[in-house]
Amino acid sequence: MLFVEFRFFWFFLVVFCVYWSLRENRSRKLWLLVCSYIFYAAWNWKFLFLLMGSSLLDYVVGMMLARTENSRARRGWLMLSLGANLGTLAFFKYFNFFIASAATLLAWLGLPVSLHTLNIILPVGISFYTFHSMSYTIDVYRGKMRAVSNLLDVCCFIGFFPQMVAGPIVRARLFLPQLQSLRNFSNVDVRGALVLFLTGFIKKACIADALALSVDRYFTAPSSFDTVSAWIAVLFYAVQIYCDFSGYTDMAIACARLLGYELTINFRFPYFASDIAEFWTRWHISLSSWLRDYLFLSLGGARGTHLFAYRNIMITMLLGGLWHGAAWTFVIFGALHGVGLVIHHEWKRLTRKVHALRAAIWWIACPLTFYFVCVTMIFFRSGDLSRAGTTLRSFVLFGGSGLEQLGVWKLWIFFALAFLHWLNFHGTFSTWWRRGPDPVFAAAYGCAAATVLLFIPQHYTPFIYFQF
Amino acid sequence: MNKQLIYRFGCVALGFCLLLATSAVYHALLPPSIPEGVVEKLQFFAKHKDEFDTLFLGSSRFYYAVSPEIFDNVTRENGVPTRTFNFGVDGMNPPENFYVLEQILKTEPRNLKWVFVEVGDIETKSHANILSTQRLLYWHDWPRTVLTLRKALDPHGTTEWYKQLNRLWSARRTFVLHLSLFEKQFTNVGRAADFLPFHADIPAEKSSFLLGPNSDGYRLAGTPMSPERAENFQRKLAQEVAAARPEFIDPYADSAYRDCAAKIRRLGAAPIFVVPPGLYQSPTRFRKSPPPGPLLMFNDSREYPQLYDPKFRVDEQHLTNEGSAEFTRLLALELIRSIPRP
Repeated sequence: MLFVEFRFFWFFLVVFCVYWSLRENRSRKLWLLVCSYIFYAAWNWKFLFLLMGSSLLDYVVGMMLARTENSRARRGWLMLSLGANLGTLAFFKYFNFFIASAATLLAWLGLPVSLHTLNIILPVGISFYTFHSMSYTIDVYRGKMRAVSNLLDVCCFIGFFPQMVAGPIVRARLFLPQLQSLRNFSNVDVRGALVLFLTGFIKKACIADALALSVDRYFTAPSSFDTVSAWIAVLFYAVQIYCDFSGYTDMAIACARLLGYELTINFRFPYFASDIAEFWTRWHISLSSWLRDYLFLSLGGARGTHLFAYRNIMITMLLGGLWHGAAWTFVIFGALHGVGLVIHHEWKRLTRKVHALRAAIWWIACPLTFYFVCVTMIFFRSGDLSRAGTTLRSFVLFGGSGLEQLGVWKLWIFFALAFLHWLNFHGTFSTWWRRGPDPVFAAAYGCAAATVLLFIPQHYTPFIYFQF
Repeated sequence: MNKQLIYRFGCVALGFCLLLATSAVYHALLPPSIPEGVVEKLQFFAKHKDEFDTLFLGSSRFYYAVSPEIFDNVTRENGVPTRTFNFGVDGMNPPENFYVLEQILKTEPRNLKWVFVEVGDIETKSHANILSTQRLLYWHDWPRTVLTLRKALDPHGTTEWYKQLNRLWSARRTFVLHLSLFEKQFTNVGRAADFLPFHADIPAEKSSFLLGPNSDGYRLAGTPMSPERAENFQRKLAQEVAAARPEFIDPYADSAYRDCAAKIRRLGAAPIFVVPPGLYQSPTRFRKSPPPGPLLMFNDSREYPQLYDPKFRVDEQHLTNEGSAEFTRLLALELIRSIPRP
């Protein structure tokens, strides 16, 4: 069930009405949990048991961590949780990748072996909910929050349907306290949530899915297209993935907000970042901050020598890349971002005293950062290294030699979208819809929704991040 | 209920009503969205509507089985010259054909004299593997959706629909499918694609391929079935012949065919209903008397043994080129022999 499907509208309507008609917090949470599991089971009910198992395990580990003072035992319980969560993730997501890579490596070394891969279905949202649940046990272990004694709360946190399958990756210490207090409907910003949902819907269904037609066409056979088409495809993909993922996040936040819960913000105009470090404070914020807090800092962070810090950055970004998918293209995506961050830190260190120079080049920093991100996105989108290489040759070296064209006029679509985004960045659309009485807003919203439906594709396209 | 709650409900209801009203306005303003496979024939027919006086409307059992060229030759030789167009489309069964017929009649062809309509029951299950979503979607206006839902709820029309609500659970998938398709159709999902430059035009070569070599809507059928399949076919045919007994078409199709007949007659043409030579051997009957129009049944292997000769058949439902020629000739002779002139 996707947020852009009609059936989700009816599903959410029932969830919303019943939720607010219930008086007790416990009943509401129970209702939310049932609905969340139905939402997940609509995709594949068999993997519901995996989700339940993960929730139960982390609840038990949390309780044991709370009861145990012995540091070795505490470490053991944490390892159990991390091992189980990461083991599950590794099996479902990376088993075939490692097997295939090992076979390739052995063959390259002159030791050909026949290793069988398994026909594994990747449970939707596994990368997200394992990170949700790990944040709980790690925070309890680190003493940043107290273990929750109510299993319902833990299950609700991990399985909360708006954020379960594609984030944002909500921290336990931010979400669990919200579950423990009764939500009040009068505190809900209904108008804000509805506008946010429609915005997310437009981003996903009207923009991302429309651009996907050109992007998919190009990336199926990049060698048959010319250089301009490569530029169009890569720029479109940058817009597509942003609109797809931030659109999903907007809708997730809006749904949660309508039920009285606040989720973490995940995007803050990332393409207006003036350097790659800033980019990662604006793009998929919940993942980058998760990796920073639970991986980068655990590795030692930026303490010690520069080389040590850069090593940690590279490890974090490589694993961050691999988190997105089991393919070498994702590893390269992570590595490029790691290298970009290292170069940026080194540049910042070297030009620390030359503020005038940094200020002077600021005006080209933003497009340069965007260009670099686009280059890395080529690896993110290309299914294999060969196609990535072809696209890279066209996009960076202007070496496209194919005869097919996507149409130069499509660049105007990109510029129009960029202009709209720029207006939004400067707050043009942020408040005017708050003015006016409720009935006028409701009527305008109905008309706007009917108009938006004209522009969505007839075939639902899954969210890009569902595959992660 | 306190005032605040009533106010909120009022706002939600207003928003919802405006959504429906705006959708209805768009729906009325936008032309129907006819999918590939159908639109080529409809566009061609609309362009040449006054050139044809005979129309065949049905599924692949018409598409590959009725050759307008042969039909017109036979009628001309027998003193009743016709100009025929084959509007057979792969997988076009009731209620899709009722919708398409409406679109054809909306073009107001002035010289139409005979409309041959293939007879069959309302299909509630969709062959998603054959038909694209757009093919499933476009005919889901309210009358067709209701027809499908009523058939799903009470297949035999034995009682009032509201007394069959206990069947809702077993028919839930059909219900959800058709209601969601109606929802998409009514709210004009994706209709902007018809006007935006993203929408690719149908290539001329695809259009002419679907219209057939003579641009009369007929495409040549395949080759005869293999000896193994022929043996299997004859065994099944024998079973069907043994089990054959007169059967009524479902009440919803019955009433829809009557509506069709009335619309065709309003245009000054005569409806003729045809059961093509399929494997199913039971004679078809309309429920009420008189029938909405003459009914020609070719699904009788004893009366038309030549149409059931394996060397004339591609499979259980379709005829070869030779089979098609024979079937077309029989149809033309039937028209000349027994059909009243309009």
